[in-house]
Amino acid sequence: MSAAPHLVSPSLESRLAALEAEMRSLAETSLAQAARLDTTSELLRGTGQQEKLSLIVFSGSLDRLIAAFVLATGAAAMGMEVSMFFTFWGTAALRREQVHVKKTLLERMFGWMLPKGVKKLPLSQMNMAGGGPAMIRYVMKKNGVASVEEMIELSKELGVELNVCTMSMDLLGMKPDELIDYPGRTFCGVAKFLETAAPGKITMFL
Amino acid sequence: METSLDARGKSCPLPIVLIAKALRVADSGARMTVQADDRAFPEDVRAWCRKTGNELLSLDNKPGYYEAVIRKS
Repeated sequence: MSAAPHLVSPSLESRLAALEAEMRSLAETSLAQAARLDTTSELLRGTGQQEKLSLIVFSGSLDRLIAAFVLATGAAAMGMEVSMFFTFWGTAALRREQVHVKKTLLERMFGWMLPKGVKKLPLSQMNMAGGGPAMIRYVMKKNGVASVEEMIELSKELGVELNVCTMSMDLLGMKPDELIDYPGRTFCGVAKFLETAAPGKITMFL
Repeated sequence: METSLDARGKSCPLPIVLIAKALRVADSGARMTVQADDRAFPEDVRAWCRKTGNELLSLDNKPGYYEAVIRKS
């Protein structure tokens, strides 16, 4: 009886076998790691944790609202969750064109001074007694930029969340019925904003 | 499925908003050809695809506009 001929010495053979086993285990580990990375990137891609943009819209001028809604619709298109919080002049910018609600004298006085509808918003600069906004609207149309009204409609379609600060509504004497229609709009305060914005990636104050 | 979207004459953010809206209802693997002349489009469509995990199959400079082909992941 003769054993199979050894090509290498028995000691070398056992070392080779050990090396082979080590390489196999290394390969298995890296495969497992790759699989784990795949799952992580899959999660990050939006199937699991969604990135969030929170906007505080404090200003009620047309130019700032354009910026706010470009960001909101753009972020929603990028697959991000978007929350907009309207406060102060921003709240006033969400007024409808014509609506009659019961108000006190002081509230009515505020009402006369606040813009009546998105179409009547002033510019933060170069307003020129309403000439500026008309010019901006004209060049926006000429350059294929969506109007604020169109971007509000797109925001509704893309599921952008709209929150309105109740404190500023009280100060400006505004009633819920005076605001534009927006599905799922919420009347809230600072706590709701902070809860929403805290886990978010981007927060802006406009 | 092959679809196309003509976003020429539309400015930021409309091209990517319209792409997102159109691809939302498309099946996985669907291809869409997009034409746009917004100067931000090449950078924006690349960023949109990276961010949303969809595949940018091509991006060409045509006379007067850009043409991108996107595959929904």
